[in-house]
Amino acid sequence: MTDLTLGRVTADRERLLALLQEYGVYLGVVVLFLVNTVFTPHFLSTENFRTQAVQVAPVLIVALGMALAIGSEGVDLAVGSVMALSTSLLSLYLGYGPGIAVVVALVGGAVVGVANGSLIAFVGVQPIVATLALMVAGRGLALVLLPQLKDVHDPAMAELGSGDALGVPYVVLIAAALALLVGFVVRRTTFGRSLLAIGDSRPAARLAGLPVRRVLILVYVCSGVLAAVAGVLATARLTASDPSSLGNLMELSAITAVVVGGTPLSGGRIRIGGTVAGAVLIQLLTTTLIKHDLPPSWTQIAQAVVIVLAVYAARERGKR
Amino acid sequence: MKPLAPRHRTSARTLLATGLITSLALVSGCAKSEDDTADKDKGSASQSEQGQVVASPSTGSGPTCSIDAYGAEKIDLKSATVGFSQSEKEANPFRIAETASIKAEADKQGVKLLTANAQSQFSKQISDVQDLIAKGADLLVIAPLNSDGWEPVLRSASAKHIPIITIDRKINATACKDYVSFIGSDFVEQGKRAADQMIESTGGKGEIAILLGAAGNNVTTERTKGFEDRIKEKAPGLKIVFKQTGEFAREKGQSVTENLIQSKPGITGIYAENDEMGLGAVNALKGAGKKPGAVKIVTIDGTRNAVQGIVDGWIDGVVESNPRFGPLAFQTLDTFTKGEKVSQDIVIQDSAYTKDNAKSDLGKAY
Amino acid sequence: MLSVNGLSKSFPGVKALSSVDFTARAGEVHALIGENGAGKSTLIKVLTGVYQPDEGEVTYDGAPVRFATPLQAQHAGISTIYQEVNLVPLMSVARNLFLGREPRGRLGLIDFRSMHRQAEAALRDLGLRVDVRRPLRELGVGAQQMVALARAVSVDARVVVMDEPTSSLEPREVRTLFGVIRMLRERGIAVIYVSHRLDELYEICDAVTVLRDGKVVHTGRIAELERLRLVALMLGREIADVRQEGLTKFAGGHDTEAEPVLEAQELTVRHQLHDVSVSVRPGEVVGLGGLLGSGRSETAKAIAGALPTDSGRVVVAGVRVRTGSTPAAIRAGISLLPEDRKAEGIVPGLSVRENIALAALPGLSRFGLVDEARIDRIVETFMERLRIKAASPQQKVGELSGGNQQKVLLARWLAMQPKVLLLDEPTRGIDVGAKAEVQKLIDELADDGLGVLLISSDPEELIEGSDRVIVLKDGAVVEELTGDAVTEDRLMRAIATAPAVTATATGEGTGPGGHDD
Repeated sequence: MTDLTLGRVTADRERLLALLQEYGVYLGVVVLFLVNTVFTPHFLSTENFRTQAVQVAPVLIVALGMALAIGSEGVDLAVGSVMALSTSLLSLYLGYGPGIAVVVALVGGAVVGVANGSLIAFVGVQPIVATLALMVAGRGLALVLLPQLKDVHDPAMAELGSGDALGVPYVVLIAAALALLVGFVVRRTTFGRSLLAIGDSRPAARLAGLPVRRVLILVYVCSGVLAAVAGVLATARLTASDPSSLGNLMELSAITAVVVGGTPLSGGRIRIGGTVAGAVLIQLLTTTLIKHDLPPSWTQIAQAVVIVLAVYAARERGKR
Repeated sequence: MKPLAPRHRTSARTLLATGLITSLALVSGCAKSEDDTADKDKGSASQSEQGQVVASPSTGSGPTCSIDAYGAEKIDLKSATVGFSQSEKEANPFRIAETASIKAEADKQGVKLLTANAQSQFSKQISDVQDLIAKGADLLVIAPLNSDGWEPVLRSASAKHIPIITIDRKINATACKDYVSFIGSDFVEQGKRAADQMIESTGGKGEIAILLGAAGNNVTTERTKGFEDRIKEKAPGLKIVFKQTGEFAREKGQSVTENLIQSKPGITGIYAENDEMGLGAVNALKGAGKKPGAVKIVTIDGTRNAVQGIVDGWIDGVVESNPRFGPLAFQTLDTFTKGEKVSQDIVIQDSAYTKDNAKSDLGKAY
Repeated sequence: MLSVNGLSKSFPGVKALSSVDFTARAGEVHALIGENGAGKSTLIKVLTGVYQPDEGEVTYDGAPVRFATPLQAQHAGISTIYQEVNLVPLMSVARNLFLGREPRGRLGLIDFRSMHRQAEAALRDLGLRVDVRRPLRELGVGAQQMVALARAVSVDARVVVMDEPTSSLEPREVRTLFGVIRMLRERGIAVIYVSHRLDELYEICDAVTVLRDGKVVHTGRIAELERLRLVALMLGREIADVRQEGLTKFAGGHDTEAEPVLEAQELTVRHQLHDVSVSVRPGEVVGLGGLLGSGRSETAKAIAGALPTDSGRVVVAGVRVRTGSTPAAIRAGISLLPEDRKAEGIVPGLSVRENIALAALPGLSRFGLVDEARIDRIVETFMERLRIKAASPQQKVGELSGGNQQKVLLARWLAMQPKVLLLDEPTRGIDVGAKAEVQKLIDELADDGLGVLLISSDPEELIEGSDRVIVLKDGAVVEELTGDAVTEDRLMRAIATAPAVTATATGEGTGPGGHDD
């Protein structure tokens, strides 16, 4: 009798835990939203939502690429450096007009992606090592190209950074479009399916005849280009190229967003919705602490707590 | 089954990858940035820079140091070799101006100068300085990255009786024994002067915010202390309602300010502990559709962009932190090597930019 | 010297060893053999302190002992030499020999001169002349193994355990190794020798212990044990029990005159395969027989492009296929059901549906977009045809039973409409009911005109299921059984054959190597 109830209780607990792992990030967003609605003055305003959305956009875009890399059982530590590199290139080529400059910046991101992907797929370097190398090299190159902060006066760039269409900032529109695009790619394309299979079991994917190397390279190219897009948008918003500080610790924010969003670090699964929510959760958390003027060290502690919770959840997932 | 990539193909791919990166670097050769010409103007304008002025007279108050007390030998500065060790990459205006000023002054005086840059790595700075000594530097000017950990260098310098002057940051050692003197700004004083400017701009009433520098940095703590003390003392009507770090970076200053002006729309003034965060705050205010001057901004450093901000009406005051150590450093070395007394602590006089002088002194900003 | 009594060891769900008695005597080379899962490695790990026994006791030098860690066993004088050399490749040969017990000079510094002198002497004893200052990795695998052996001997080992020491050695190196083993024997050291190469066992070993399913099925002098009997013991088939099965139901049922759909010619992979030729006709099931390590799985992998070959050709339906490329082999119509289903077959986190569609994915898409409707149709067809039991096509494959996982893999390959199916242990680790179903499926597929290459460790399954059986030994074909000769008895005789007999069959004998062009 007691055994029976006990069994049911643990089963319920397990189901609850599973649900929490699955939807915990959304719950977190809702809770933080409600807390802010009640306690933070002027929280429920269009202006505020706009600000939050604009601020989360670059992190989100980088996190989308990171989700692909993590889904393939890898990681891309070079994203922050790619942002710096893209802002340097953008500034250097702005003389040819914003269009060409943006293209050059994105190509720069793709090139870093090819380098990362080749190291991983052909040379067999572990993703964390390969992208660490490019993280150091990318930032160095960015600073060689543009040693110090440089203002961007181009009106088109300024418009990209702070303009809007129907009240929605371009930056937010681009981030949303990219999130939908990446979600579509993961769900509906052969590339997305292959990527998940490779992330889950590489030997099986190889024996099934999937183009493992091509897919891996493409993953890091996507991640590089998305990081470059984030770099361009951040530059436009700041109306300045600052390669020494742009994208610093971005790789950690992106990994946090992806992991908090429920994508397992062991690969084989990508949750784009969760990643978006993860990025929003961290943004809301930081914002809440800033708006209530809590000491900056609290922000770091709070982020650490969220990461620990996410890792705990990931550990639980790994056990199943 | 382990992946068995044929070796020769692998190395070819690696080569390709490295080749791509190299070509990326080469690509920058045909780069064309937005305002190449404007840069040149800037370059020539900064030739008109002015050296620092000492706040406390060099041989007046405070303890002094002479060559006999230090145990070095008299030499003629003109024939000496001076070693300069810079702490951080010349990636921000302050460091750029600082190094340029030392180099320009060495040129002017006809002194042989050896330079090294520690790239923000303390271990590198230690070996840099030891290198400089080994290469035959007779005198050393050091912009220290840290205050502590200098024992090995000081030991090898004192073995050779090499006079050392530290600039912009102090080292924890005995003046006139381990080093000759320190030349630098008084960060607490800078904070106080920023407070004075803030009081003047706001009329001493309202709510103000502080954009702090990077945490755990003495510049941050001293600039905060000076500001807060002066506000408390002189303008009890000004309330500091918000204190968040912008990590000395423009982007962070911008995002923090965006949150600030939404949660506290009635904010009167913003004190940014460096120019970059202040410029970020300006960006945020622009984005929120505020008018120039609606929120009073006071910053510290005196970079050209910030002074331009005053001209444009967005910034109310910039307290200068003068990076041009060249003239004063060499003057001090000259005095010292001649055998005369120099002060152990030389605090420089930082000027300030306000609406009154911003336009005319724009050329002085770095 | 070292013996165990009534040893039992269980892992969750598996009884790895039950009441095993085993004795290694001083000055004796003792062969320890058995098929996969027989318990060899568990026994070795208990002897060397990696595992603790659940029951029974280990006696060493006449006294009961209990090794808590491998290090304790090592200190007591039990050394192990694994297939993969476990030394430090970047350090010099001498450093490796004396790792952790370097001769010290004054001041406690390493006395390099004395170390190098001692190292040279130790290696010379084993007939190895190398510069001991060079890094270990510059030596060949065989020489590295010698260094490992020299290290084992020089730490005053009294028991040396060798786990498949010859698997990556050249014939010349094997000779040297055997010389060393004989020397060890003369010095009164007990050697435990694990190998699947029967010829080697008969050449070098004095005693033999055969394990099967965690039990000792035979122990005694190896000279007194017939080869055929040894094979029968390993495979668990008593010679007397071997039924004269005659023909299987396929024999004669298929058109043996048809042109082969698969022709693999003279496949050679260094140290693994030597001139293996296999051909399969449409509608024919060809069995690949042989002991573990005989090259069965390697042959299948080489044909499927998953193992790069040094030489040899693969031809499918008259068209030559590029070797060493899985996609090329798949395009040509070759499908491989790998031996290790969990690690190399299924993608556990993906659904049944995704797993079935995995290999066909490139064909099921337009402009990179997946054609979901076609996938649904294919998944539905094969789930029904193969009777795959899953809650829904969306269920994760990792949650299915072994038999259903295997069917999902079969479905994945059938969806490719292959010409040749390579099945490596298709029924291992699945329950009896599912086993029968899979076997029936193989029949059906052959009837449909597919060429099937079947690998199985179960002689009964191999004989019953195949029209023809090709027997491999030490990476080379030793015999091909056709027609009336497809019997368990003939299979085991072929496996047990001494090299002199097989020399005529292959023209090469079992001498490995010499084909690396």
